[in-house]
Amino acid sequence: MSFENIGRTIFTQEQIQQRIAEVGQEINQDYQGQDLVIIGILKGSLYFVADLTRHLTIPINIDFLSIGVRVGEANRTGVVSFKKDLDLSITDRHVLLVEDVIGTGLTLGYICQHLESAKPASLKICTLLDNPAERLLNIDIAYRCFTMPDVFVVGYGLDFEERYRNLSYIAEFNRK
Amino acid sequence: MIFITISRQTGSRGEEIAKLLAEKLALPIINRDFVMEHWFPEIAGDHELHMLAESPGFYLTHTSQGPTFAEYLEEKLENYIAEQAAVIYGLGSQIIFSRHPAALHIKIIASHEVRTNRIMQSHNLSRKDAETFLKITDRKHRRYISTIYDKDWSDPLLYHLILNTDFLSIEEASSLLYHMAKNKQITEDSSVEHPEQPGEKTVVFKHPSEEEFAKILDMYELEWEYEPRTFPIKWDAEGNITLAFSPDFYLPKFDTYIELTTMNQKYTSEKKKKVKLLEKLYPGTNIKIVFKNDFHALIKRFGLREVIDNK
Repeated sequence: MSFENIGRTIFTQEQIQQRIAEVGQEINQDYQGQDLVIIGILKGSLYFVADLTRHLTIPINIDFLSIGVRVGEANRTGVVSFKKDLDLSITDRHVLLVEDVIGTGLTLGYICQHLESAKPASLKICTLLDNPAERLLNIDIAYRCFTMPDVFVVGYGLDFEERYRNLSYIAEFNRK
Repeated sequence: MIFITISRQTGSRGEEIAKLLAEKLALPIINRDFVMEHWFPEIAGDHELHMLAESPGFYLTHTSQGPTFAEYLEEKLENYIAEQAAVIYGLGSQIIFSRHPAALHIKIIASHEVRTNRIMQSHNLSRKDAETFLKITDRKHRRYISTIYDKDWSDPLLYHLILNTDFLSIEEASSLLYHMAKNKQITEDSSVEHPEQPGEKTVVFKHPSEEEFAKILDMYELEWEYEPRTFPIKWDAEGNITLAFSPDFYLPKFDTYIELTTMNQKYTSEKKKKVKLLEKLYPGTNIKIVFKNDFHALIKRFGLREVIDNK
């Protein structure tokens, strides 16, 4: 793996693990005495879901969703669709949606509408990185680990052309 | 299919506006001359035609075929409109079609002073003669409606819109009515003839970037409305609105307004000020601005076509 485009470290492995532990405790408190379905959005949230859920002491189920945007031809609209839907039923269950990054919220809005159609008992959102400055949709984020820096980042699940997801830290990346 | 009825005061330039509007909309104009030439000869002889041209009361006379001339005219108009849109000038059409869902009823007026001056000029009359001319024609218009339909011609509730041409040129008035008719057409198309299907919206966007953004919202199946609300944000000392802001999109499920700006960043300060003012005046309103760079990033991401800048 070439690291020549990797810039400064934005969040170290220790910072990430410490913050996830804190957020995990918050979730434990908020859902005390309840069952919870954790839904991770593939692929970016892979490591985050793995680490976060290991801090949870409440009974949980884990499931994943994957959505894709197929770019349209010139002048045509692309298509957003679920590449992998849920295996578990979430009807009447408490759901925590776990994202790697929340920016405009358009993708999140699409997913939330889909999940809400299954009538869960509740639906909250947890994100590793949040970029509220980019947000277009008014969506409440219940848990956020870090605010997104104003640079392109990779690592800890975040990729550039499907690479660098497996870095244990989050670093700036120069795409040029 | 919408149609427009135009009533006017003499000297208001209503006739010129009606003609230009019909031209802009590529619609035929139905007026008294048309009716006298094409419709009434089917049932009226020379004497009756003369009486119809002179006396409103004669419209209540029964034709040889049974109905009154007024009823005959009403039926002809209704049959015509059932087949074909038109601009109808006068003829009591604002009453005949008062509750018709596809009708737009317009009245053109002007102040007595302005109308007098116009009549003096157009008919080469003295002020006194022009005032007499106006008095007689106004009375005739009023009598036609009151005699046949027992309605008050001056009742503003008979009309969707009343235009005062003291301050509007023929071109301005006809353009305004043209756009009103187009908007009405869109509403008519979506609500009456073709009930709106999810994901199918007939909207006339003011800028190509808005259309592209709507496509992105559609991709995400996010319900949206285009410019559904105008927020007054500045008033003058008399309480008249001097500045208003209509955000481009409203996303009802997320209670969020979105305003696009694809102008260069340095020109967006005005828009930012408007948004700040709106947020201050209407606390709790969620409004977001999509700036040029963010917009182009979205467009690029979804492979949509680049659009013209400077919105």
